[in-house]
Amino acid sequence: MVSENSQFAIETISLTKVFPDWWGRAKVVAVDNLDLQIKHNEVYGLLGPNGSGKTTTIKILLSLLHATKGHAYVLGASSREAKVSSRVGYLPEESYLYKYLTARETLDFYGRIFGLSSKVRKTRIDTLLEMVGLTAMANRAVGTYSKGMARRIGLAQALINDPDVLVLDEPTSGMDPIGTRQMKDLILELAERGKTILLCSHLLADVEDVCDRIGILYGGRMQMEGPVDSLLKKTEDTQILASGLSDSALEKIKAIIESEKADCSITSPMDKLEDFFIRTVSEAQRRKEPTSGAVNTGKISGFLKEDEVRSDDVLENLVNASVEDVPSSEVETTEADAATEVLKGADTSVLDELTKSAVENVAVDSPCVKVDANEEAVSTSEIKEDVLNKLIGESKDE
Amino acid sequence: MSRIWAVARNTIAQGFRMKLAVIVVLLLAILLPLMGVVMIGDGTLKGKLQTFVSYGLSLTSLLLCMLTIAVSTYTLTSDIKRCQIYLVVTKPVRRFEIICGKLLGVVLLITSLLVVFSVIIYSLTVSIPKFAKADAMELRQVNEEFFTSREIMTDPVDRDRIRELAIKEFRELEEDRQLPDGLSNSRIMSELEAKYRGMATNVPIGASKRWTFENVKLLDPEGIIFVQYKFAVAVPRADEKVYALWDVGDDRQYKVDRSQWKTEIYRIPNINAIRTVQEFQVPAKAVSEDGFISVVFHNPVENQTTVIPQEVSLLYRSGTFTTNFIRAVLVILARIIFLAALGVSFSTWLSFPVAILICVVVFFAGTVNGFIVDSLSGLSIVAEVFYSLTIRPILWFLPQFDGEFSPTQYIVSGESIGWLFLTRIFAVMVFLKATLLILFGMFIFHKKEVAKITV
Repeated sequence: MVSENSQFAIETISLTKVFPDWWGRAKVVAVDNLDLQIKHNEVYGLLGPNGSGKTTTIKILLSLLHATKGHAYVLGASSREAKVSSRVGYLPEESYLYKYLTARETLDFYGRIFGLSSKVRKTRIDTLLEMVGLTAMANRAVGTYSKGMARRIGLAQALINDPDVLVLDEPTSGMDPIGTRQMKDLILELAERGKTILLCSHLLADVEDVCDRIGILYGGRMQMEGPVDSLLKKTEDTQILASGLSDSALEKIKAIIESEKADCSITSPMDKLEDFFIRTVSEAQRRKEPTSGAVNTGKISGFLKEDEVRSDDVLENLVNASVEDVPSSEVETTEADAATEVLKGADTSVLDELTKSAVENVAVDSPCVKVDANEEAVSTSEIKEDVLNKLIGESKDE
Repeated sequence: MSRIWAVARNTIAQGFRMKLAVIVVLLLAILLPLMGVVMIGDGTLKGKLQTFVSYGLSLTSLLLCMLTIAVSTYTLTSDIKRCQIYLVVTKPVRRFEIICGKLLGVVLLITSLLVVFSVIIYSLTVSIPKFAKADAMELRQVNEEFFTSREIMTDPVDRDRIRELAIKEFRELEEDRQLPDGLSNSRIMSELEAKYRGMATNVPIGASKRWTFENVKLLDPEGIIFVQYKFAVAVPRADEKVYALWDVGDDRQYKVDRSQWKTEIYRIPNINAIRTVQEFQVPAKAVSEDGFISVVFHNPVENQTTVIPQEVSLLYRSGTFTTNFIRAVLVILARIIFLAALGVSFSTWLSFPVAILICVVVFFAGTVNGFIVDSLSGLSIVAEVFYSLTIRPILWFLPQFDGEFSPTQYIVSGESIGWLFLTRIFAVMVFLKATLLILFGMFIFHKKEVAKITV
């Protein structure tokens, strides 16, 4: 039975999977007494080295494998129940598509299996194809697609039912950096819309960027679990990101920090290669250079952002979002820009006061002030508090 | 249902992409018209038609059965091997719906091909006489004996009566203590049975033999009926001919005066070659109002030997060639449905090479079913117990494609395939055997872990 009130979107209780050998003797314990609890509207990252039991766990959750012991619930019931599986989207570790079907036929096939009406099917297929940037190649057999393109169709089929729970196994494998970025943006957008996402990946950076909580598996057992922030936070360091600072302002900051007897290093942050790559390709796309590959429209996040209210048929609404609705800069957003956005959004008068100069231009080579704690002097938290108080206090005075 | 249909559509697309399907289609598209041109049979128009339709239907049936086996065993095993099934079973489709969809897809794919090639064979068959240089007599013959659907009636030898007579004589001999020494009882019984069987079938010089047929339902009382037979002789004449004198009609009327006869009794003399099927025609008016007719054979002295008439049967038109041809195609369809069910069922638990091998073996076992059953019928008591517990149930599951279950022989001899017979084939082969196979496949697939075991 599907329980709407189930506390967890995904739950395993003492889940164990033992693969026997030909004689039925226990050979490998792939998952060992795993208790996994993923709340509704959570992005959960399952990490672990090869053979740690991530994919096996996912396969048991999706009833592709039977548990040797224990239970696995999705939305409070077995995923074999139609009521559950109709609310689940699954992207396996490789795109297991029918090579002879075109992208459109592929999505149509899965749409039919979900029992979607032809009208809904058509609009969703068009939207999804546009979203994954394969509209131009929609009538080409999937067998002729590159791995990344096939992955995009795999993603589209996982979303065709507008699922509440999304299970993504290595979602960015084989994807180009733009696709990877889009995938991450999509995950975040879907999470904003109240979806629950179970993510399994080797690419730790991807997990770090999108997950609320992570769990690290080893030998089929959970080794460490918790919110990403609390697991990764270096509590002793503080980082202040600013742009357009003059040398004199930097000197003043340095003086303040040194007066607190803390260590401080000042560098300009490097542009990430991912951002650089995305900018280059976006430029080429803007020039409309011919390609037989995927074309990123940047619509994933775009059309999802348009619709703030959760409707019964999100994609139905989303399909109405036109290209013009989406800021073309969406794809190109770099982290440096994002940082500036944050600073702009904050009270800029603080910065003004601090640097005595207006923020005039946003440059990627903004100097970065990194403050290292001086362990012999005052405790780190005290320094932080002091520095922040100063900043806030000055701002308030203004 | 929409989900089953989605799986079926995908299976059809999968089947059409198989190179084997393309080869079969091309082969039939080239061979069938070619056969229509080059096949001449025994030189007569009827012979040409019989040869073409016989080989055409048999070839189509064989190739489509092979294709059915290939597609039905490939579709699910390929989905499992290539992990494509992961994206299907994780969606709100029940496992039995996948199996049903696969079966439906295979059956629809092969049925569409069967329809196309049956139409080609039919069109070629009916157009052959138009292009053949045949005289009016030959055309009349093919219309009466080939482009027809004739009911066939037989009056078989009463085996129980023969056994009764043999047992009676055996007991008399036993009572009189005249049983020959040195011979086992079973040997004596078989000798006695042979004697009475000979008496029932053999017609000595100057003697006669009578066959009766009841409930003859004529489609056209003004038409003609046929008597079909084959002759064997004790000592063949030099020219290997048999002289025959036939009386065909309601011989119950001999009891009354000829002026009171309601139907005519026809006397037909003819000369026949031995060991080949012969037939002659009689006006249908010979059949009485209550559907009775008798056929009497007289062995004239010219033969100078005992004649043994075999397979004497009465044929009369009961339908059209077209409906009979459709029924023959339906018999092939029943085979295809059975094989599709077999293939899909086995592919739920076997790999593609193993499943296809077993299905091919079953298919060929089905074509020699009668031989297998016959060869295992004369077993000792111990073997009989073992046989009935183990092999017989398996043999029961074997399809029957040979003997009376072969549709081509009916079309070749213009013999009607009865609706009752067709219903029986569908009831046993499709509704019973194929359904059991599919239920078995569904059960296995329901329990199966479809994912590969990887750690």
